[in-house]
Amino acid sequence: MSISCNHVRRQSTAYVDGRLRSKEQAGVVTHLAECQACSSYFEQVSNIRSVLNVLPAPVMPSGLQTRLKVIASRERASVLESRGSRFEAIWARWKFRLSEMMRPLALPATGGLLSAVLLFGTFVLMIGTTSQIVSYEIPLCGDNSEPSLLPIALQSNPVVLSMTLDASGRIADYAISDPGTTFTSDPQSHLGSITLPSMPTVFAVAQPVSGDIQIHLIPLAFRQ
Amino acid sequence: MADSTLTLSINSSQSSLTEEDARLLRGLRAGIESAYEELLNRYQQPVYSMVYRLLGDQNDTGDVVQEVFLKVFRSVNAFKERSSLRTWIYRIAVNEAHNHRRWFSRHKRREVAIEQENENHHCFDTTPDPGPSPFDFTLDRETHILLERALDEISPVFRTAVVLRDIEGLGYEEIAEILQISLGTVKSRILRGREALRRVLSERLEPGFATAFI
Repeated sequence: MSISCNHVRRQSTAYVDGRLRSKEQAGVVTHLAECQACSSYFEQVSNIRSVLNVLPAPVMPSGLQTRLKVIASRERASVLESRGSRFEAIWARWKFRLSEMMRPLALPATGGLLSAVLLFGTFVLMIGTTSQIVSYEIPLCGDNSEPSLLPIALQSNPVVLSMTLDASGRIADYAISDPGTTFTSDPQSHLGSITLPSMPTVFAVAQPVSGDIQIHLIPLAFRQ
Repeated sequence: MADSTLTLSINSSQSSLTEEDARLLRGLRAGIESAYEELLNRYQQPVYSMVYRLLGDQNDTGDVVQEVFLKVFRSVNAFKERSSLRTWIYRIAVNEAHNHRRWFSRHKRREVAIEQENENHHCFDTTPDPGPSPFDFTLDRETHILLERALDEISPVFRTAVVLRDIEGLGYEEIAEILQISLGTVKSRILRGREALRRVLSERLEPGFATAFI
């Protein structure tokens, strides 16, 4: 039984590489003995394979060898540093890269940071002078009290009125606390029950600033 | 049939990690200097040759080889030892060369086309009639140059298979592992690669010669 040329040529690779079974190989050999074209084809394929097999290897540049040694040395150092842990190796590598990348920026960045700290510190001092905590003691009895009466502080705890002021100096929120009850801010329900005393001496000299104000109301009794 | 053969070859390679490879791997993982030197001594030249054959450019080859060994050193802990060390390294090298070629293929193709046009004139002007059969060439320099140029011209997919088989001398099973394809595909690619080479060489040396086979 004759084999077609196409079929034989498809087997050229296996034949040339010696991977055909003996029966298949015998069929190919028989065909090649009878077919000059296929015989020539197989010879060409075989010659190409032989020439490829002895192609001289390209010479590796010495510079590349040096670079590979440097890479090996660096990677080995990384392994030693991380003691074999893969994640630590990755972290060490990124740390190293980041360090290399940031090194040129380190001096200018440090100078900039110090300058910023210095400037900010200066401004903080200036801001501090305008927003320092001020404590006033104002007798609410004022001028209307009898001179013969002496104020006596009662033992009960003071009531604290906390107010939050906006940038215009207006009350934005407030809270009242006394020892018995703690009120949270609910202006609609509590605002009507609060009567702020007149404190002309304080507000006459104060500048409107935003912030918090706490007024401690100390209950007093008077006796002659 | 091809799948079962491939499975068998992979299974056999699981246990075929030689003692030499195992020792080298232990050394690499422990950061032993001599292991790094040994790996480079053993594989830098073969990897360089193979990548050079796949890319055909010395500068590109240098860049890719560096990337290959960087990956090898950094992935040595992740290597699952399911193949031989050589297969694993070659697989990385082939993938890196493939990635590199994919990015620069258009640029390179243009360069090769211009160069080949000039070189063809040079070849036909200076080479005398080779005689009755161009395949009777001995292994002289001209033959090597012609073959290397022919390699550049064939499809990268077939070129890779031919390079691994006929230049690097790897077995079919190992090529299947490196390229992660079936044994049947390996055979087919080698067959078509050799056929493409034969056709390119025939056309170049004796115009009209190849048409007799088509």
